[in-house]
Amino acid sequence: MTTLHKSKSSEQTTTPALTRRDFLNRSAGVTFMIGAGGVISACSSEDAATSTAPPVVSSNSYTPNIWVTIFPDNTVEIKYSGTEMGQGSSTHTPMILAEYLDVDWQNVKVDTMTTHDQRYGNPFFQNNLYTAGSTMIMVFSEKMKVAGVQARKFLLYAVAEDWGVPVNELTTDLGVVSHAASARTISYGDIVATLSLPTEVAELEESDYIPAAEFRYIGKDLIRDDVADKSTGKAHYGMDVQVEGMSYAAVVRAPVEDETALSVDDAEALAVQGVTNIINMGHMIAIVGDSVEATKWGKAKLNISWSETSRFRQSESQATLEQYKKAATDLTISGPVWNETGDVKQALDSADQIVDALYTSEPVYHAQMEPLNATAHVADDGLSAEIWVGTQTQSLSVLGAAETLGTTIDKITLHPLTMGGGFGRRSTLHQQYIDDALLISRALKRPIKVIWSREDDMESGLFRTATAQYMRAGFDADGNLTAMHHRVSAPNNLPTMNPLRWADAAPKDVITMLGSESTTYDIPNHQAEHVVQEREARVCAWRGVGTSYTKFAVECFIDELAEHLELDPMEYRLQLCHNNSRMSNVLNELKAMSAWGEATVPEGRARGVAISGYSRSLSAGVVEISLEPSTGKITVHKVWAVGEAGLIVAPKNATAQLEGNIIFGLSSVLRERITIEAGVVQQANFNTYPILRMSEVPELDCKVLLTEHPSSGCGELGLAMIGPAIANALVDLTGKRIRHLPLTPEIVKAKLNA
Amino acid sequence: MASFKINGEQVDVDVSPETPLLWVIREHLKLTGTKFGCGLAQCGACNVHLNGDVIYACVSPVSIVEGQEVTTIEGLSEDDDHPLQKAWIAEEVPQCGYCQSGQIMRAANLLENNSDPSREEIVAHMNTNLCRCGTYPRIVKAIQLAAKGEA
Ligand code: FES
Ligand code: FES
Repeated sequence: MTTLHKSKSSEQTTTPALTRRDFLNRSAGVTFMIGAGGVISACSSEDAATSTAPPVVSSNSYTPNIWVTIFPDNTVEIKYSGTEMGQGSSTHTPMILAEYLDVDWQNVKVDTMTTHDQRYGNPFFQNNLYTAGSTMIMVFSEKMKVAGVQARKFLLYAVAEDWGVPVNELTTDLGVVSHAASARTISYGDIVATLSLPTEVAELEESDYIPAAEFRYIGKDLIRDDVADKSTGKAHYGMDVQVEGMSYAAVVRAPVEDETALSVDDAEALAVQGVTNIINMGHMIAIVGDSVEATKWGKAKLNISWSETSRFRQSESQATLEQYKKAATDLTISGPVWNETGDVKQALDSADQIVDALYTSEPVYHAQMEPLNATAHVADDGLSAEIWVGTQTQSLSVLGAAETLGTTIDKITLHPLTMGGGFGRRSTLHQQYIDDALLISRALKRPIKVIWSREDDMESGLFRTATAQYMRAGFDADGNLTAMHHRVSAPNNLPTMNPLRWADAAPKDVITMLGSESTTYDIPNHQAEHVVQEREARVCAWRGVGTSYTKFAVECFIDELAEHLELDPMEYRLQLCHNNSRMSNVLNELKAMSAWGEATVPEGRARGVAISGYSRSLSAGVVEISLEPSTGKITVHKVWAVGEAGLIVAPKNATAQLEGNIIFGLSSVLRERITIEAGVVQQANFNTYPILRMSEVPELDCKVLLTEHPSSGCGELGLAMIGPAIANALVDLTGKRIRHLPLTPEIVKAKLNA
Repeated sequence: MASFKINGEQVDVDVSPETPLLWVIREHLKLTGTKFGCGLAQCGACNVHLNGDVIYACVSPVSIVEGQEVTTIEGLSEDDDHPLQKAWIAEEVPQCGYCQSGQIMRAANLLENNSDPSREEIVAHMNTNLCRCGTYPRIVKAIQLAAKGEA
């Protein structure tokens, strides 16, 4: 084991000693472990315990490590262990390997993995193949780098030995090795085809890494691989699957969770031409037919009587919020500590002044544009299956499917397809749409394509949970912020989303709690506490997980503290971030861009600021808003935003991600709200659950800083700061603080008139 | 039986007349570039052209296109090289991409009637089409780029 210092990053990476035999025997290379604070350390492949894949050296290909295979015709296949939903990591992750291997991107074929294999897994998610939380680039950029450098070094050694020249006299250029002194060249493909590969190479050294100044891909904005097909209708989504001999299925679920169908009158439905089967599965009824339209028409003709015993029949949105609020402020109720610094209780007890505030948030829906769907073909024995689906996790899809069929994962063949949006919705262990397809296919012994309607998708949605958050801050006699206590009163997400992860993580639920930890502000005593509540609706990770409400509470509260101290909210944030140079840079950049405190804000408008962060990535934004008091309608006129996510592989795409994240945030704050009455979701389609349209998009001035910090992901840079920035601006505009999400016109009007 | 022209080709499909055109296009004719998003004329993912006008295929019974000419994203250009498609790629508009066939078909209809739309005209015309990924600013840029003929 040796230690390698790299000039371009602040971290140390440890690689295994790189003899080829060692490497081949333990070919997973380096596994990076990420701690709660997001710091990457490295352990050898032996520590990873899962890395025993032998290399494949054959006459027609060479696989120097598990990530890459080189062919005699100079094509290069790079494994991608994530899935693609528009974030770009299916291009940008393998591109890092291609950069360090020094090959032509045109010759690279990206091989998206199709099954559960922990050697390729995401250490954030128990080494499962799992694409979520903006983690792909953060987790895999170092692995790709090392894998690329290692592979290139093996090829160089092969050439050096064959030509009898020192390896350090060799150079590479887009898949060709050259020796200038003897004017010889050989392509990687020819090396693989004709040379014998060495059994050992020396350890990786700094000189093996292509310097940043010579990058061809990283930072160069190559167009993502998926863009052309998505501009021509050729991209292949789950919705587009056609399998020989398949039937279509529509489904009906109980309007209230946990109820079952007691009886189904299907006579009229079966009379619809093209409807072939109606199956009552208890928790769901399947309408199967020869065409999509037949299943939809059949579904409309069903008469179902449902049980009326579920506890969720008592679920009412307003009552739920009241219950969560009560628990949040009842300090006799304690819960798992998510994150802690110092001694918050002692600090609050001895504080000179205490400021407190209670915030609430209501459920929101993912609204990925592709309604959920899956196609499955279960074999006649019921124990093996082929599945076509857009999923955020190959691993859990396979594990969940195997569990549903009572079989083993080797019997499941998965075809992960492009997703028409994910946002957390497709990240659960049991994906109901997959289970639907499996169960119906098993019953009918033929391939089944299940398509949920938008109404199914919304009414049976898994929502971002309702929350109440109680914030308390303590100041000493000099007005220094000495303590903050952040109590999040909300249910757990992981037990229903992903019980396998919960088994490891309990009682800490990252989905519920993320963002309540204090990472940017200098607060000596801080505690984030989870006041665990009963789940009153289906819940799931939603874009940015907990941050969209935890940052709302924190960032509104910081403004309230600034007001208490009679300080400018931007200046107060800068003051509190004095120990965090990255966050200070972001804020200073934002302050300059928005001319905060200097620009003349037009009459009738006001500005608000908030910061946000997601794992190691940081962002901050300023919004400028106006209000129509008669309706409560907030108009956001402009957003200035700065993001910092370390080394950026594709700056233009990173900015697009920031823009999209801000728009997603604006939509959720200004428009979106799920309400539940007697256990029934009250919204069903985009007419009752409007999402932001083009005319409501403000002028955006977005900037992603280019730094040399380790890459940390651009998928969640903007969303969480939007809510608090708007609420903060509203105080400036009206003198009233609304401590609630969303800020839809009805809510704003009601609260301002209260 | 429904008979109409799609992307220049005459087709006869054995479906009942009230079948939504969307499912005829996607599942009977297997032209899957046109998407299902809401089924309620709310999102525009299913936008196609009927004799050059934009329609919502999800709420259009196939009977209304009888004997008419339908164009889908697959038939927008010969070699996927419509100026809008080139602009879409140049501006790297799509994220998840699911809404984009509808967006492009809608935008093509705009440019056919107005070769140099203002920003306001673009927004007014495109406001029918939802994009959950928030690609709206790039859509505007791409339309402007295509209108300028610079893609
Ligand atoms: S699917 Fe037709 S408008 Fe949404
Ligand atoms: S690109 Fe995803 S919905 Fe528009």
